Amino acid sequence: MEITQTQNGEVLIFAIQGKLDSLTSKTFEGRLIPPIEQGNKKILLDFSEMDYISSAGLRVLLLAARLLSDSDGKIALCGLKPSIKSVFDIAGFSAVFPIFPSLPEALDELKK
Amino acid sequence: MPTKILIVDDEPDLQLMITQKFRKQVRENEMQFVFSTGGVDALKKLQEEGDVDVVLTDINMPEMDGLTLIAKLNERYPLLKAVIVSAYGDMANIRTALNLGAFDFVTKPIDFHDLEITLYKSIREASSMKQAAKDRDQLVTLQHELEVARRIQKSIVPRTFPPFPARQDFQIYADMIPAQEVGGDFYDFFLIDQERLGFVIGDVSGKGIPAALFMAVSKTLLKATALKGLPPGECLEQVNRILYMESVAAMFVTIFYGILNTRHGEVEYSNGGHNPPYILRGNGKVESTEIGGGLVLSALENSRYKTNRFVLQPGDGLFLFTDGVTEAMNTEQNEFTATRLIESLKRQTGADLTGLVNGVINDVRVFSTDAPQADDITILSLRYGGRAHSAEG
Repeated sequence: MEITQTQNGEVLIFAIQGKLDSLTSKTFEGRLIPPIEQGNKKILLDFSEMDYISSAGLRVLLLAARLLSDSDGKIALCGLKPSIKSVFDIAGFSAVFPIFPSLPEALDELKK
Repeated sequence: MPTKILIVDDEPDLQLMITQKFRKQVRENEMQFVFSTGGVDALKKLQEEGDVDVVLTDINMPEMDGLTLIAKLNERYPLLKAVIVSAYGDMANIRTALNLGAFDFVTKPIDFHDLEITLYKSIREASSMKQAAKDRDQLVTLQHELEVARRIQKSIVPRTFPPFPARQDFQIYADMIPAQEVGGDFYDFFLIDQERLGFVIGDVSGKGIPAALFMAVSKTLLKATALKGLPPGECLEQVNRILYMESVAAMFVTIFYGILNTRHGEVEYSNGGHNPPYILRGNGKVESTEIGGGLVLSALENSRYKTNRFVLQPGDGLFLFTDGVTEAMNTEQNEFTATRLIESLKRQTGADLTGLVNGVINDVRVFSTDAPQADDITILSLRYGGRAHSAEG
């Protein structure tokens, strides 16, 4: 798994490449959670290059969402492959996380 | 606690030097010396003292010499470090002593500085050996505790089949194979009353001990709530609220909870983020229950869960499973997938429930030959054997 972190205005963007499984999720947690705890309120997760997500990966998303909801922050996801979307649908995450087809659309939403 | 050092010499000079030169260490309770005059006496002292870490011994002594003593020490006290005192240039004896298991040597006339370095080095070595032995013991204890945890976990899901031998109107069978000693999957079933059978399957995020503890809490809480006879959706809402308040570090659990009415075959169910079970029609058709249930439990405080329904005809079955089945990998990193699961289910048409569950598990095993099991595999299957729904009116 590779994580590419960029910034667009006040939006922090994390692009995930590869598999988010029980092993790599710890790395992801270490990259995603501290910036939120330090006060970043707008997080965009670009999953267009992500091939797999396990329940450990979902847990990190949930952790981020909880922290952001405590701090009146916002999170958005974009570019989910069909297999990833199906995991989100089964777990009920599709109804909780704002999901956009492309990065510009997700950015627009976060910048509102 | 001072390090205990045994000095073995039949002549008084070594004892004299030690008492003088290591006064400070003794006063400051860093070292404690025990003195002995020969091999036989040394072994006796070792037994009496119990916790000696280092032995410093001369070679030439009456009764039992230093080399014999070293051999015996190596046999009886493998953690102890022995240092020999030999005549300068007596390479033959030094080699023999080292081969017998001595840790180091000093030569006569003894240079105090060298002796001090050698003793400290031996003490360090002895204490690191002791620590390693302690760590190993702890590891053994942990492994033992994990084994006990595994047995406890195995026993908290129902394991007696058939569970209700007198009931002809339904059958139920289940199996759970954790990937590690303990796992985060669970299943359960219970009679809410004479005509309502509650059944549940769940999967906690993560693995190992944390998942196992959360699994035990989830299973117990679900059953206690379900026995109140609430519709499945309401039951999941209550369980979710309690789990959410208790949960740490954003752990969550997927739960499918259903109630089979054993009088007419209707199933009421609610799905909290779990893989949708399959309906196995009597004619061999495999139908998916709908996707798009509620959120996994313990994720958000006020998640809502719908209660849905379908009807089983006599001979129809249900197949509940965790993602350890569909995501089982083979050595080429391919997953078993829902497609293979459905094929496997169709192949088992006509088998009894035990045959069905074991048949699927066997297909998963054959598929993932040689690849390690990455996730818990859990299956619960039931079959309705009562009257047809239509006959009920």
